[in-house]
Formats: sequence, structure tokens, C-alpha cells
Amino acid sequence: MPRWLTALGAAGLAVTALSATPGVGAESLNAYAIWPENWARPMLQEFEKATGIKVNFVRFSSGEALARLIAEKNTPRVDVLFGGPVETFAAGAREGIFEPYQPPAAAGLPARFKAADGSWTAIADDPLVFMSNSRFLKDNRLEPPASWEDLLDPRYKNMLQMADARTSGTAVTRIFSILEVNGRDETKAFEYMKKKRRNVQLYTKSGGGGTLPVGLGQAGAGIFFIVDALDTKAKGYDVTLSFPKEGIGTSAEAIALIRGAKNPAAARKLIDWATSPAMQRLYATHKINFVPAHPEVPIEPGLAAVLKGAKIFPIDEAYAGANRKRIVERWVNEVLNLKE
Amino acid sequence: MLVLWALLALFVVFPLGALVARAFFDGGRFAPGALLAIARDPNHLRAFGNSLLLGALVGVAGTALGFLFAFTAVRVGLPRGWSAVLDAAALLPLVSPPFTTAIAIIFSFGPRGLITWHLFGLKGFTVYGLGSTFAAETLTYFPLAYLTLKPVLAALDPNVEDMAFSLGSSRRRVFRTVTLPLTVPGLGNAFLLVFAASLADFATPLILAGNDFPVLPTQAYLQITGLFDFKGGAVLSFVLLVPAFVVFVLQRAWVGRRYYVTIGGKTGAETAVKSVAGWARWPLLAGCLAVAAVIGWFYALLAYASVVVALGANHAWTWVHYRVIFTEGLKAIRDTLVIAGLGMPLGGVYGILLGYLVARKAFAGRRAMEVVSMVNYALPGTIVGIAYLIAFNDPPLVLTGTALILVACYVFRYSPTGIRTTVALLQQIDPGLEEASQSLGAGSARTFWRITLPLLVPAFFAGLGVVFIRSMTAISATIFLISINWTLITVRILENMTELSLGPAAAFSMLVVAIVFVVMAALSRLLRRFRTPGRVMVAGLLGG
Repeated sequence: MPRWLTALGAAGLAVTALSATPGVGAESLNAYAIWPENWARPMLQEFEKATGIKVNFVRFSSGEALARLIAEKNTPRVDVLFGGPVETFAAGAREGIFEPYQPPAAAGLPARFKAADGSWTAIADDPLVFMSNSRFLKDNRLEPPASWEDLLDPRYKNMLQMADARTSGTAVTRIFSILEVNGRDETKAFEYMKKKRRNVQLYTKSGGGGTLPVGLGQAGAGIFFIVDALDTKAKGYDVTLSFPKEGIGTSAEAIALIRGAKNPAAARKLIDWATSPAMQRLYATHKINFVPAHPEVPIEPGLAAVLKGAKIFPIDEAYAGANRKRIVERWVNEVLNLKE
Repeated sequence: MLVLWALLALFVVFPLGALVARAFFDGGRFAPGALLAIARDPNHLRAFGNSLLLGALVGVAGTALGFLFAFTAVRVGLPRGWSAVLDAAALLPLVSPPFTTAIAIIFSFGPRGLITWHLFGLKGFTVYGLGSTFAAETLTYFPLAYLTLKPVLAALDPNVEDMAFSLGSSRRRVFRTVTLPLTVPGLGNAFLLVFAASLADFATPLILAGNDFPVLPTQAYLQITGLFDFKGGAVLSFVLLVPAFVVFVLQRAWVGRRYYVTIGGKTGAETAVKSVAGWARWPLLAGCLAVAAVIGWFYALLAYASVVVALGANHAWTWVHYRVIFTEGLKAIRDTLVIAGLGMPLGGVYGILLGYLVARKAFAGRRAMEVVSMVNYALPGTIVGIAYLIAFNDPPLVLTGTALILVACYVFRYSPTGIRTTVALLQQIDPGLEEASQSLGAGSARTFWRITLPLLVPAFFAGLGVVFIRSMTAISATIFLISINWTLITVRILENMTELSLGPAAAFSMLVVAIVFVVMAALSRLLRRFRTPGRVMVAGLLGG
């Protein structure tokens, strides 16, 4: 046999050996996390410390995680979907990938923080905020935007970045915020968005996609979830946060049990823990700027100071759910593809 | 051959079939109606047109640039140092992990870019759109053309050109009527590779295309990950197979039944290359160096980002990002190396075997095999990834969560470079060489082993090199195939970008570049030891 064939055989054997899945210990579970790794990791490590249950996890963006879970529906690979915007969980529930489970803490949560059928439960709340590059504001003699109307100023022309409604929950929350501050008058809201379109340099695919450009000064300002905005600031970029006086929306982050989970008992323990004050008290310790969902957990003072005086409202689940598809389609046709 | 068919059936046809089944069948019934509506959507039609335009432009420009580099490297007779510079410049973009080139472009040419704003003071400059996407993809994919064309040009016997010279032709005429036509199989293959790569690329347009230039792979990706519409995404991707197939057929027709043999085994003494005038070296070299300078600039920026605290905010010097990747990132580095190391030899062998079969052997289904071998390459990575996930998650064959699924994905997705190079090389080699061997009593296997294989060594190394490089850098397909057990450096880079940690992302990228260069240099040494006797110049194919 030629030598290369032998080598090939050896490589084949090696592949077979490597493809064997390592054994899974008795007390462990698997999860997909949508939260960035530097937030998911400390939380799941704290869980291991508290319970001795090891969580193996991989991080995906919300769309990728959901696409994977749907593809794996018949043979699930993980037990829990950890973190991520509620609308991803709502879409997952429609696909039937979750096993309803109501953790003890759910009883104490307001209605918008849990699915009626128990398919998901909220672990945090995440309001939107305006974020501007401080130097851009100074160079253009602008005050930090304090009203939705401020973003129409021609000095922002081609300098705003925000998310694309086709792909980002951030964008959907933003559009429903605009509808809400316009008293759900769609004509008025869309007139506003069309005017704002002229100032938009780019609609990014992910909700936080514009934070780095704003931090670097490639863009002047944008509308982001507060977690992403405060993270940009923490990284050392000189940005200014502000809230519109008319008010702005907020969206919950959730957790869910996967249907057909291999480690359901351990998975339920993680969900119990994550929905309770036990985990949510740790946001402050680890400088994760989510607003805790559980009413008993106080907001970290620094975050509370930023939120002070801000007018924040939840997006009406029933209204948003019923109109989302139509509104996003209208946004694509009239705003994104605006012809001038 | 049966083994090859079995492998192709398992790793190309079966996953695709599983995806088609999910996309076109609804509860066991064929239901294409609603899906055709997706394909008819005017926004998608526009995206389709944009994809074709972009693919054609990138294909032509990438092939031209690849030819310029290959021609300069092989025919100009550069000192070794210079050709190493060219090789390095051509390798860099191939090694660039996803998103980093796009970020470098935005940082340089964006509305507050170092070049557009700080250097030229341009205001309101828009970087997003066709122009920047075209430039980024051309820079990223021209090395494919270079890798395909260099062995072809190197194998082109200068004696053939000499004959034309001694018959009184001018240099220009020799280039136009001898050198260029003999390179046609290489040019055709190079265009096919670059066109298909552009057609399937979604990462570059995702960052650079902006709002006014949608392309189909990005739309397909968004359809799946943004709108959670599996079927729509699959349909859009299948549409992409049509132009890839058409180009393939055209390329076959063009290269077709002409005669390109230049290695006949019966030529005379070694000869110096005369086809390039002394003065012409400098513009050729200058052209290459200009491109190399742009590429070098992007990487200098990346290197800088890896050693400062936060690019654009805090430029204090630090090694902390490297410490992070060698502690937290160690598992990803190890996994990636194992997978790339396994895929490399398999991809190289698969590439030349398949290339040899389709170029030299007459058998039923030869064309079909050639087409099937290109399918995974021409499809957007997202689709290949999801197809693998659907096909290999359930019995009979459960591969998700293993290293094997990643290795298989890389081998069957990135071997076409090896296959196309093999085919292009074989079209230059006179079958008479093999016939002579057989008539002297050597069997078919022995002939392949002793005669054909040594001549194919450059193609083997080209194929293996690309599989290795891609294993280190690709992400679109494998993002769906990584698991709790096996993760990859590129996924860590993407993760870092999401966390706004430019520093570790840049440090990881530099590490990838370093690893690839070390491996390529080692391969290049190996290749020199293999150098076939006679006049076939194959040295220095892969840099270093």
C-alpha cells in the first residue's frame, strides 16, 4: 500500500476517535446563550458555584441560535436557551421548540415578563437609549438629543446608525416606541421615520452593530439598548447617553426550557435560579447593565442614576404582536427603500 | 471512483436533499407556490441582479489581478526577496478572518476614516455600497485566481515562447497569441472560482453593502436568521446555484475542445524567460506592489489594534489582548488547529483525485461529478451549514457536535481550488506521457503514481493550502456546525466583535496570520524538495 494511503487511513481513524462525544457528567447541562460571552460566562459560573451543576454553553446571535434550535428540533442538543430578546422567544414558541415551565419566581412577575403558556420567563429588562459621540456633539455645537425631533436636525445628516427592522429586535422596539409616542397614529409615525431616514447613514443588521461606529466617530449618534450603550462607554469610548422627553420603549430578556431536553431536572434548576433574585442581584456585581426583571432586586445605583428622570414605557405585547409583521413590511417599503 | 461518488453523495447530495425536502415540501406534499412568491419579490430580484453584477465585476477584476501577480511572479524573473513579498501580499487577504478587512476599510475610508477624513478632510463620504464591496471582495478573492494561475503559468514552457520569438514575433504578439491563449484553462478556472466565491460571500456585503445595494446571499442569511424563515432562505440560496451553474457551463464551452498541451516530455534545453522586456518589469512590479501596499496597510492597522487598549479611544500600549487569547482562547486555538490539520491532507488528496478523474478518465457521469463537486463551494455558507445541520443531526448519521462534521464541511466546500488547479494543469500535460508509461508495461495505478502525480504536486499543494487556510478563517457555514465540544478561532473573533472587543479580535487575527504563514512556509519547503526533475517550474507556489 502506498504510504499516502496509510496516512489517509490513519487520519480517518483519528477523525473517528475525535468524533466521539466526550462523556457528560451526572450534574451538568447544555445551553445556547444569546447574551455575549462576557456576561453569560460569569452568570453560569455563579450558577455552578451555587449548585454544583456545570453548564456547557455556546454563544450565538439570537437569529442563529433560533435557526439552530429549529434545525435540531427532532434531536435537541441543548437543554436551555439563555438570554436574548423576548421576541426571539415568541418566535421560538410558535415553532414549538420550547417546553412550557413556570418557575416559582414567575408568580411574582408582571404579565409582560412571562409567556401566558409558560414557554418563556423574563430574567431582565432592557430599555432603549439615544447614544451620541461626545466629540461629534461638540464639533457640531449640538446638545445631546433630548427629543425624537432632535434627531431630524440637518446636522445629523448621514451620521445616524441604527438597526434594521428585518433582523433586529432593537429596531422593532424602536419603531414601536415611535408609534407609541405618536399616539399609535401610523401616518404621523411614518412621516417622522421618513424624515429621519435622510439622516441615517446605515441600518445595521444587529442591534448593537452601530455602537462601535458611534464610539469611533464614524457615526454621530444612534438608538441602542442601554446594555450595549453602557458597554460602549465602559470600553473607553467617549459617548453621551440621553433619553427623549416623549419617552422610549423597553424590551425584556428571557430564558426557556427546550422541548426534548436531555437534562430537564438540571435545566429547571437553572431556570429557577435565573428568574430569581439569586442571579439578578449579581448583575451589579459583574457590571452587567440590565434592569433586573424580578421586582425584589434593586437597580444598581450607577444604572439607576442614568435612568433617573427617563420616561420609559413597555411595548404593549398584544398590539405589537398583532401588528408587527405589517409594520415591519411597511417600514421596509416606505422607510428603508425610501425613494427621493 | 465509487468511494468518491459515495463521499460526494453523503456530504454534498444528501445534505442538499435534506434541505430541499425541508424547503419545498410541506407535510409530505410538494408545495412550491408560496416559495415562488418569495423568489418573485422585487426586492429579491434586485438583490439577484446586484449579486450577478458584483460577481461578474469581482470575477473579472480578481482574475486580472491574479494574472498580474502570477505573471509578474513567474515571468519577470524577480529576485527571490521580491517574489516572497508578492506571495505574502497575495496570501494575506485569503487569511483575513471574516469582518476584519471590512472593519479596516471602514476605519480607513469611513465617514471619519483615517484616509477620507483625517488625510483628505472629505466630509460626508459614504463608504457603503457597490464600490467598497467590490474593492473588498476583489482584494479578498484575487489570491484564488493567483493560486490557480501561477502553476499554470509556471508549467508553460518558455521554449514555446522562444519558438515564436525565433520566428520573428514581437513580445506583444507572443503574449497575445501564445502566452495568453495557453493560459485560457487557467483563466477560465480562475474566473469561475472568483465569481462563485463572490456569489456566495455574505460577510463582506453584510458590513459594506449598506442599504442601497442588497445582494442575495445576505438576503438569504437575513431571511433565515432575521425573519426566521427557513424555507425562504433556502429558496433564495437555490436561486444562486443557477448563475454558478451557467458560468460553469460557459467556462467548459470556452475552454472546451482546444489544445493546451505544453508539457510533452520531449523538449530541449533549459531556456531563460524572454517574454518580458527589461523595462516592462517595473510597471508590472509597481502594479503588484501598489496592491500589496493597500493590503499591507490593512494589516498594519490590524496589528496596531491588537496592541492598544481600545482602537480609536485609548491608544496606550498593551499586551493584554494576547494574554486573553492564550488563556480564554486556548481551546479555540487548539480545536481549530486539530480540525485544519485533519482537513488539510484529506482536502489535498480529494482535490487531485477528483480533478484527475474528471480531466483524464472517461466514465459515465463525469460531468455530473464535476458539477456536484462544485456545489458546496457555490452555495452561500449559511445554507451549507444549515443543510449539514439538518442532515447530520438525526439518525442514520449523527455527526453534529463532532469534529468530523467540521472537517467534512471544509474539505467538500473548499477543495474546488485544488480540483480546478488539477484540471487546469492536466489540460497542459500531454496524455502521451501517460500512454508511454502504460505501453512500457506500467499499470494505470503505477502510471498515476509515478508519472501523473509528480506533475500534479503543485496542484496538490495549492488545494491543500486553500483547505488549510479556509479551515483557519471561514465562518459562514461553520457557525452552525460548531458545538459545545468543538469551537473555532473565527467564531471567537465574531464573538469579540459583538462584544466590541476589537483588541482580542485583532490579536486572534494576527495569530491566524502567523500560523498560516508558518504552515505555508513549511509546505513551500516541502514542495521544493518534491520539485519535479526537468523544467517544470513549481517553486515558491505558496509563499515563504
